[in-house]
This record gives sequence, C-alpha cells and structure tokens, in this order.
Amino acid sequence: MDNAKIDTKSNLSRLLNQLSLGDNISECLTCGACNSRCTWFDGEGGPIPRQMVRMAALGLDDKLVESGMLWDCLICNRCTQGCPMGITMDIIVRRGRSLGIAAGQIPTDIEKGIKSRLETGDVNGLTKEEFVETVEWVSEEFVDEVNDPKAAIPHDKKGSKFLYLPNPRELGINLLHLTAMGKLFYAMEETWTMSSFHTDVTNWGYFVGRDEIARKIASMVVEPAENLGIQTLVLSECGHGYHVLKFLLPELIGRKPKFDVKSIPELTLEYAKKGVLKFDPSIHPYKIAYHDPCNIARKSGCYDAPRQLLDLCCQETVELNPNREDGICCGGGGGILQDSTSTKKRKITGKPKADQMKACGLKHLATACLSCHRQLGELSNHFKLGMKVDTVASLASESLIL
Amino acid sequence: MKEKSPSILILGGGVAGMAAARSLKNQDLSVHLVEKDDHLGGKAALWACMATDTCKNCGACLSQEMARQMIDQNNLTTHLKTKIDTLKKTSKGIEALLTSGTTITADKVIMATGFDAFNPAQLTSLHWKDHKNIITTAQLNTLIREEGLNNLLENAQSPKIAFIQCVGSRNKKLKKDYCSQVCCKISMRQAQKLVHNIPDAQITLFYMDLQIIGKEIRQTLNLLSKQINLVQGIPAEILEDPDTHTLTLVTEDITTQSRSAGQFDLVVLSVGMESARDMNETTTLLEAVPNDWGFFNTKDAIVSKDLYIAGCAAGPKDILTSNQEGKIAGAKILEDLDLAEKPDINVAILGDGPQADIVTQAVAAKGYPVYIFSTTPAAKAFDMKPAQDNPPLSNIKLTRSKLTGSKLNRSKLPRSTLTGAKILAVDGTAGNFSIHYESRGKKENLTCGAVIAALEPCSTPNTGKGEFQTAMDLNTFSQISPGDLPEKSLILLDYFGPEFKSSARQALTVALAARKAKKEITILMNKMLVHGALGQRHYDQARTADILFLRFNTPEDIKIQPQARGFHITLKEATLPNFELALECDCLVLPQSINARGKFETIAKILRLPLDQEGFLQSANVRHRLIQSHRKGIFFTGTCHDEIDNHDLKTEIQEILSALATLDSPHQETKVTIDEKKCAKCLTCYRICPHSAIILNEKMRPQIMANACFSCQLCLSNCPAYAIESQGFTNDQIADQVTDQVVIFACERSCALAAENIVLPEKTQLITLPCACRISCDMILKSLINGASKIIISGCHEGNCRSMEGSTTARSTINAIAKMPGIKADIIRWEPVAANETHKFWRIISKA
Ligand code: SF4
Ligand code: SF4
Ligand code: SF4
Ligand code: SF4
Ligand code: SF4
Repeated sequence: MDNAKIDTKSNLSRLLNQLSLGDNISECLTCGACNSRCTWFDGEGGPIPRQMVRMAALGLDDKLVESGMLWDCLICNRCTQGCPMGITMDIIVRRGRSLGIAAGQIPTDIEKGIKSRLETGDVNGLTKEEFVETVEWVSEEFVDEVNDPKAAIPHDKKGSKFLYLPNPRELGINLLHLTAMGKLFYAMEETWTMSSFHTDVTNWGYFVGRDEIARKIASMVVEPAENLGIQTLVLSECGHGYHVLKFLLPELIGRKPKFDVKSIPELTLEYAKKGVLKFDPSIHPYKIAYHDPCNIARKSGCYDAPRQLLDLCCQETVELNPNREDGICCGGGGGILQDSTSTKKRKITGKPKADQMKACGLKHLATACLSCHRQLGELSNHFKLGMKVDTVASLASESLIL
Repeated sequence: MKEKSPSILILGGGVAGMAAARSLKNQDLSVHLVEKDDHLGGKAALWACMATDTCKNCGACLSQEMARQMIDQNNLTTHLKTKIDTLKKTSKGIEALLTSGTTITADKVIMATGFDAFNPAQLTSLHWKDHKNIITTAQLNTLIREEGLNNLLENAQSPKIAFIQCVGSRNKKLKKDYCSQVCCKISMRQAQKLVHNIPDAQITLFYMDLQIIGKEIRQTLNLLSKQINLVQGIPAEILEDPDTHTLTLVTEDITTQSRSAGQFDLVVLSVGMESARDMNETTTLLEAVPNDWGFFNTKDAIVSKDLYIAGCAAGPKDILTSNQEGKIAGAKILEDLDLAEKPDINVAILGDGPQADIVTQAVAAKGYPVYIFSTTPAAKAFDMKPAQDNPPLSNIKLTRSKLTGSKLNRSKLPRSTLTGAKILAVDGTAGNFSIHYESRGKKENLTCGAVIAALEPCSTPNTGKGEFQTAMDLNTFSQISPGDLPEKSLILLDYFGPEFKSSARQALTVALAARKAKKEITILMNKMLVHGALGQRHYDQARTADILFLRFNTPEDIKIQPQARGFHITLKEATLPNFELALECDCLVLPQSINARGKFETIAKILRLPLDQEGFLQSANVRHRLIQSHRKGIFFTGTCHDEIDNHDLKTEIQEILSALATLDSPHQETKVTIDEKKCAKCLTCYRICPHSAIILNEKMRPQIMANACFSCQLCLSNCPAYAIESQGFTNDQIADQVTDQVVIFACERSCALAAENIVLPEKTQLITLPCACRISCDMILKSLINGASKIIISGCHEGNCRSMEGSTTARSTINAIAKMPGIKADIIRWEPVAANETHKFWRIISKA
C-alpha cells in the first residue's frame, strides 16, 4: 500500500488555510455529511468529498491530484450545503486544480478556450470583426422579425442603459437565442447594447481555479462596460458566469464595479413587475419543471426570479424533487460540459438528474443556464425521456406580447 | 406577628422542577410549581421505558413516581395548564401573574423550563416532513411507548432501520455548535430496545463521534457492537422511492472507492436539544440573559438575582442530571434564605486522592468534622501526582484528622497518618453509622452521620512497555511547561479501549496549551468526546488552532515503530482508506487506562453495597443514582463510581452537601416492626434486608432502624416465624382483599403507577404492594383459595427495583409456587411493568 506524508505546509494547505469565514478546511469534523450528498450519489468512481477535504486539510496535494477527483467534481457544492461547518467544496477543488502539479489534468478544450478568450476575447476565438459581422447580421434578421425599422441589436453604443453579455453559443450555434433576447430588450423600451470588446459571459478561469486568469477575464468585462457608461450589466443565462460576475466579482477585482449586475431573467421579471412587459402564458399551455443551475441557485442564492418568470409565461411551474438548495446538478458542472471528451462521463454524472426528470413525469423542463440547457437536452435524448428543454428567458421571449 | 413564609416559584414541572420542589418539602415555605401542560413530569413523562430483559437505566420512569410524590407535598401548590402571563420585580419580590389569574409574589424563582427537541424540518434534505418512514427519536419513543412500532413497519420481515446522530447539534451553520449530550445514549438504548422487540431487525447507527460516557453506556456499547452496525459518518440526505417508500442513504464505500447506497425501511433522526421556545420571554422579564445558544451553561450567560436555573433550561442534559440540578437549586435557595440546616454529624471520607481532597475540603468548609480513611500510608494532601497502583482496600489505612472551621487553606489541611488501620465493618444508617476499624492491633470505632466514598480507581499507565517503552504518560506530559515540550507530539487516544471523558478532556486542554507555545500536536483517536457544555467549542478551537486530528477505526490500523529519537507511525486513517499515512513524532503520549480491576471488591463488601458490571462502586440502578446508594447516608463521588470530570465532581459535591443538610430531618417512620415474642432469632431478616436496615441490638435480637428502612417488606414475607408485621399488611389481610378472578399484585412504584389512570376490565383487580418482593407462597395460595383464578405479579424491571433484588426475589417465589403440585402452569406469572408502561400494562390485562 502507498504511503503518504502529512504536510500542513503544502501549497494547497497554505492556499486553503488563508481563507477566513469557516472555509478553513482544518475545521472539518470528519462527520461524513458531505459524502451522502455528492451529486454522483451511488454512481461509480467520482469524487468522495470527505476524502478530498481530508487530503487537502492534511496537505496531501499529490494524493489529491493523483486521485483524479478534482476533475470529476462538478463544483456543484451540493456536499457543502450539508456541511455543518460550512466548508466550501468549490474553493477546495478549484484551489486544487490550480496547483502546478495538477496542470496536466486541465482538459485541452478548457485550456484552449482560456487561451483564445485571453487573446481574442471569446472562448471560441471569434474575432472582433467576426463579432460585429455576426451581430449586425442578426440585427437585420431581428428587424424583419419584429417588423419595426427602429428595432436593432446594437453594439458598442455608449451611454446605453444596459449592456448585454451573451453566451458564446448565442454567437455561434444558437443565434436564435440572441434574437429572442433582443426581443425582450426591445419590449423593455430601454437603451441597450452589446460590446465588441468582450463577447462572452463565461469565465473559464473559474474552472481552473486560477484567480489571476479569472481576474483578467473579469476585467475584460468590467473595463469596457465602465467605458460604455452603462447602468446595468445584463448576463445571458449562464451558471458560472452568473456566479463569477454577480457573486464573486467584487472580491475578484478588489472593488465594486460601477454598474449593477443582473441576469436576463431577473431583468425581464423586473420589467414584467413594472407592467412594461406582458406575457401570454397560453403560448405554453403546459406544466413545466424548473431545474436550478447550481451556480445560480445554491451557490449564488437566486431561486425565485426564474420561477416567477416561468409562472408568467407558462401554464404552471412544477418543482423537481429535490430542488432549490438541494437541487441536483445537471451533471455538466465544474467545466465538464466544456470538455468535449467527457460526453460519456456526463451520462454517469447526469444519471441522478435524469432519474429526477423522469420522476416528475412532465414533457417540459426549463432552466436558466445555457450549459445546463445543453446537458439536460442530451440527457433527455440519451435516457429517452422525451422532454423538451428550454431556457427561461427564451420561453419568456416566446410568450411576450408585443 | 409571624412573618409570612417565603414563597418560591418554580417554572416548569419536569424532572428538574419537581426535584427542586421536593428538596423544599418540610420547610416553612409556600412553593408554587407552574406547568404549562396538563401533567407533571415534562418530556421525561412521555418517554418510553427502554428496558429489555433488564432496566437500561434511562431514568424516565422516575418522573412518574416523582409526579406522584408531588401530590403529597404539603407546602406545594401545583398549577397545571398554566403559564406566566407577566412577571415583574417589585419591592416585595418577583410578582408573577399566572394565566389562571392567580398572582404570586415570589422571593425566589427557579427556572426549570426544560428544552425543545430540534425540529428537523429545518434540514430540508432529511425530508422528515415529506417521507412517512422518517421519524425522530422522540417519535420513536412514542411508538415504543404506545407499542405501535409494528404497525409502522407493517410487520416487515427483518426490517432495516437506521439511526442518524447529531441532527441539529454540533452544527456551526445552525449556530448550534454544542453536543446535545443525550442523543447518543438515547439512540443506543432505542437500538437495543428494537433489537429486543424485533430480533431480526437489521440496525445501523451512523454517528459522528459516539459519546460513550458513563457506566451503563459502556456496557450498552459492548452489547450493541455485536448486535448492530456502528458506522462513523452521518448521512445528511435521505432519498425516498415514492412507490415503495424505501429510504436510501448514501455513504462512502471504502471497499470500492465510491459511494454506495443503503436501503432502509425506517430512518430515525437523533434530534438534539435546543432551548425551550417559550423560555425566552420569561428570561427577558427576569432580566436574565442566556448565551448565544439560549442556555445558561457558559460564563457569558447572566442569571439575575433571586433566579435559579435547573435542568435543561441551563443546558442539554439527561434525566438523572436534571434531577440532580433540581435538588441543588432547591438546596441553594434554602441556603440563601438561611433555612439550611447543618446537622451535628461527623462525615467519613474514604479515599485520599486528588478527588477525595476536593471533597474533604468542601465538606470541611461547611463545618462538618471530617475523618479521612486513606488508602496510601503517607498521603500528601493534594499531591497531584498520578495515583499509583494502590494496595488492596482491606488494608485501608486510617488518617484521622478532625477538620473544623470554615477557612481552609489547601496546604494547611491538617492530616496525620495512622499506620496499620483497617476498616472492618460499617454498621448503621444515615445519621448514625459506626465504622469499626482496627488500628495498631486495637479495635476502634468511629461514629459518623454519613460516609462518602471518593476513592481513586486504578489508573494503569500504558507507557513503559513494548513499543511504548519510550512513550510519555499524558499526566507527565501535562506537567511539563508548554514551552519545554518536544516540537512534535502525538497524543494517542482510545488505543486501549474507549477513553474516559477525563482523559479526552485532559488531552484537548494540554494540546491547546502546547499549540499556544507553537508546538506541533497531533491527536490520533477513534472518536472525540465532546461531552460537557463547552466540549464541542474546545474541539472546534483545537482544530482551528491547527491541532491535527486523525481518526482510526481499530487499533490494528496503527503501526508504531519506536526510533532512536521519537516514533514512526503508519496509519490507515479512517477517512482516507486508499493509502497509509506515515507520521513522525518526537514524543508519543498516552493517557492512563482507568479501570476498577478488583480494586473495590473489599470496600463494597464492607459497605454491603454491590459493584457495577465493570467493578466500579455503585450499581447502575437509577433509583439511587447519581450519588446515593440504597443504604441511606452512603454516598459516592468521583471516578470510583462513574466517569466524572472536574465539573461533574463539583456538581456531585454540591448534591452531597445538600443531602447532608437534610440527612436526619425529619425522622422517617417505618410501619414494619418485629414482634419480639414471635421472633425465633433465626436472623433471616438481618441477612436479607437489602437496605441493611436491620441491626442486632444489645440483646443480639434483630431490630429495624426506622430511618434506614424503605418498607419494602422483604423481611416480612421471608420471616419463617411470621414475626414481622406491617399495619394492615399481613398475608391474610392482603389475600382477603381478593374479590375478582384476575388479580394483579402491583409494586407501588412501577406497575401501580402505570395502572393509575386505567379503568380495569371486569373481574380484574389490582392490589398494590410496597415492592414485588412482598409476595409470598402463603399469600398467593390464600389468594387462590379466596377465588383468584389468574394471578399476575408485576413490579420493576430487573435492575430498577429500589430494593435492588425485589423483582428477582418475586420471580423466584413465583417459580417456586408454579412448581407446586396442583398449580396450573399459566395461573401465576411475572410481568415487569415500569411506571411509564401504561400501554404495556393495558395489553397485559386485556389479554389476561
Ligand atoms: S461539489 Fe458536487 S460533485 Fe463535487 S464533491 Fe461536492 S457534491 Fe460532489
Ligand atoms: S460535511 Fe463538512 S465537516 Fe463534515 S466531513 Fe464533510 S467537509 Fe467535513
Ligand atoms: S425501568 Fe425505568 S429506568 Fe429502567 S429502562 Fe425502564 S424507564 Fe428506564
Ligand atoms: S455526539 Fe452529542 S450531539 Fe451528537 S448525537 Fe451524540 S450526544 Fe447527540
Ligand atoms: S421492610 Fe425492607 S427495608 Fe425495612 S427492614 Fe424489612 S427488609 Fe429491610
């Protein structure tokens, strides 16, 4: 059997014991509560949260990296929710991933994505010119669709009230989603814009746990946004993007940004409450279940806004069980969805979610994250659940009364 | 004009409140007991009996008896279904307006408002509300009490049952970073009860750190570990199959390196204690400020003048300790009102270790002349050095030192040692003992009012042999000034068996001090005992101070290799099953093992009191615990009788002092007398009296000491000459009461209490006896002649009888009768029924 030496001065121990606020890993009671709550449940392989915490606490960096658990973990913090000491798994895992010795484990896709994001501003490597071209083309389509020459999907317009930060997929394979969002802004009757300087809501620096990268990417959002003088940064539906930009941003850049941050469902709901936006729920005459993206719900505390918005534009919102704080990760969290080699693995990590989807017995499911959206759709196909998966904002856009 | 007698208001009619009220009896006081429910006894009164074949010493049934006693207390007014409306401090005292409209102006208030069970609905992932087969320990209690468990399990074949510990305790996130003290014991007892009731049940108990503390719990663990699965690690989520209602718990599977799912038919949540919800208002009105937890068990809680706090209102604790706190609160009030008495008695203390020294000092400070019987020839007062393996107690040496006066200086405690003294016998009873001893070949005699046993148990060092040749004793380690300690030390706990609470406490304290001096400390343990108010906080502190805690499952997981300097240890850590850890330390520290190891046999024989199963003084019988024995006036304190830390020792001393103050007041009368004319001087009674209440007088005749007699009437039913009498209680008189076909002879402290509010079925009759041992062949046969066709004798569960062996005696009498020619097999039988087993009683009589 292998032998390991405790080293409380290991790199990881040092990184983790600097933390305040109950995240000091040495506080672990070894109570085992986390083990029972891992999204992998009784799936084979995968992370065993208490072992990760203990290896980190005892400075067994090598062992932790060797175990492979760091990149199996979905960073969903489901285990954390049950921890009596409030020990936060996503911090432990991300710090672990950031270790030099773990560098070889970073999925190639994520490494590439970070590189092109830092170089071009977009994970898929979309250049500024390509961005402008794409957005202007979508804008034309959009004018036709709403049949109003004044309508537009504007970019780089200074002094706009809102700045919309899209998901890279909205500029690639899911352009329709961008049009749908444009419709919502159009109906709000406010000034809005996109920016060719930063085309992306994602921040993969978060997945690799490298604060300096996450900070750089975040600044690529904050600086142009502040230069444009906008009031509110509006995030496309993206889980980790939301968590980083709404929840971690001040800590990351060391100050408060000069704008508010809201997700598109949050903003839409706000305008619906003001009476500006009106919806016709009969467009979606069915019951629909809602999946809580871990990063938005458990990790950032936003539970109600997406549900309320769904209530306005569908017949009825139904809960999956368990939900909210105890919601089950789609199985694509922690960067695994961004790794194209993980398709098979995602069927294992997503099994508990698929079971839950099946148990609700419905044909429709909504979520507020485009990554979850993709994973859930794939689960529905793979497990033959026959469920149609939509994002909350696109449903809202569909039932919008113009 | 006589001043109005002082008025005492007790809030809460649970165990602590009743104990407080009772300690104020026979005083010129007017005592008011206010209880919001319609019954006295609090939560304990709703608790099920945990007895299997024998009593499991939970103490719940005592609350029924206590409630019964309240009725007869003259100076007490009980206000049931009543709450406090308003409370205000006036010049005359604390004015309380009760919801009944009554106003009481109290001189003193005792808050004994108890606790509330943690509501597990707060932990959503446990789904306590959503799933029908998830219950709390409190609900399980009700099911056991009402005998409804089989309905819930739908008579499942070998049902799988899980217990989950620490639900709502030891949780920083919920701001409950304390151990609830009792839930481990409760679950262990319940598990044992389930094993007994459903022998094919498969039970798993998931725990964080099992709090194995106290004589009965160590015993329970020994049995339980063979009967159920004990698993470290508590699931925080319960999943349910909506169709079958089967519950799934996911835990780490160390064999396959993944998680595995266990299926259960029933999951029991071991819920913790929190401060009573309606206590808050009262505290505000009384200007008392509880701590962050809502309790009063830490120094930062403020207790205002004229307010006393007892029981679980002060902090989580068990039934017996609540009882103790109630008594102490009552005693304090008497003292503060200048009503406390100091009887003119000598007190003998057995033992001269550090604990006995503390006891001696406290008793002497109260002004009692103290005589110390020492076990070592030249005991130095308050020498804290580890106790040596002491000589056997037959050689008890006597240190005679009369201590009077109240200002005692530790170093000035006068002592002189008489060599060669040896206790021969302890005769008599409370207020009037005579200790016969031999000194320098001369027989001598000491008269005293009370005897306190405060001996040190055996502490066997684990160092100095085998691989531990160079290890250091924890006591030695504690005495080194932290700065001088080796750089890297490892304290190894639980290696030679579950550590005693005192050792675990000592290890934490020393480790914290060493850490302050920047020393590296590792504690290697099987479990951490976080008992005591601040137990969990200390443990939390230690972890944040970077004391390293490692866990092992069994001692085989540890390999220790001494090195030229220090130790090399390989460990299979319980939470890291994939690889071994290699540890180095300069110094390996081991606590001493505490045990009784035959040490107390002689003294127990001399005191004519039984030992417990491990050989410690005092039986586990709850009727006399925590500190008393069934010989009035003989007390136990310290580690010679139970697992006691310094805090507990202080409390025990307080209880002993309050018991001393009421030792001989008032004089108790027994109804039992020996008719000299009939007595054949066979001395059967002298031999068998369980309370040693019969002495031989000058004429060498047996004589009952009124004050020592518990009126069990064992002597009466066993006297071959029918010379012992009790008014209205001759065999004939009892048998003559028989009028019906089914007759239950019921012990007045158990079955009769359980039957109290029951309307008996037709042709069924209950005759109350002072103790089950009162039955005799003569009496039973006469009852049969008088028309009884079925006789049930019902008393305490074995191990719960106040007179110790009453139930056992009754059973052998029954066996003897059953063997008599002409007696049909099912005509007479024995049924143990505790005072809280009303449902069981009902089942028995309805089937009779
Ligand atoms: S964060 Fe999620 S995937 Fe990772 S260990 Fe915790 S529960 Fe499991
Ligand atoms: S739940 Fe928290 S305290 Fe318990 S073992 Fe896991 S990390 Fe440690
Ligand atoms: S007889 Fe009394 S003390 Fe014994 S287990 Fe039953 S209730 Fe508890
Ligand atoms: S460790 Fe303490 S809080 Fe947890 S179950 Fe045991 S007694 Fe209760
Ligand atoms: S009645 Fe019981 S306690 Fe009293 S003298 Fe007889 S045997 Fe002893």
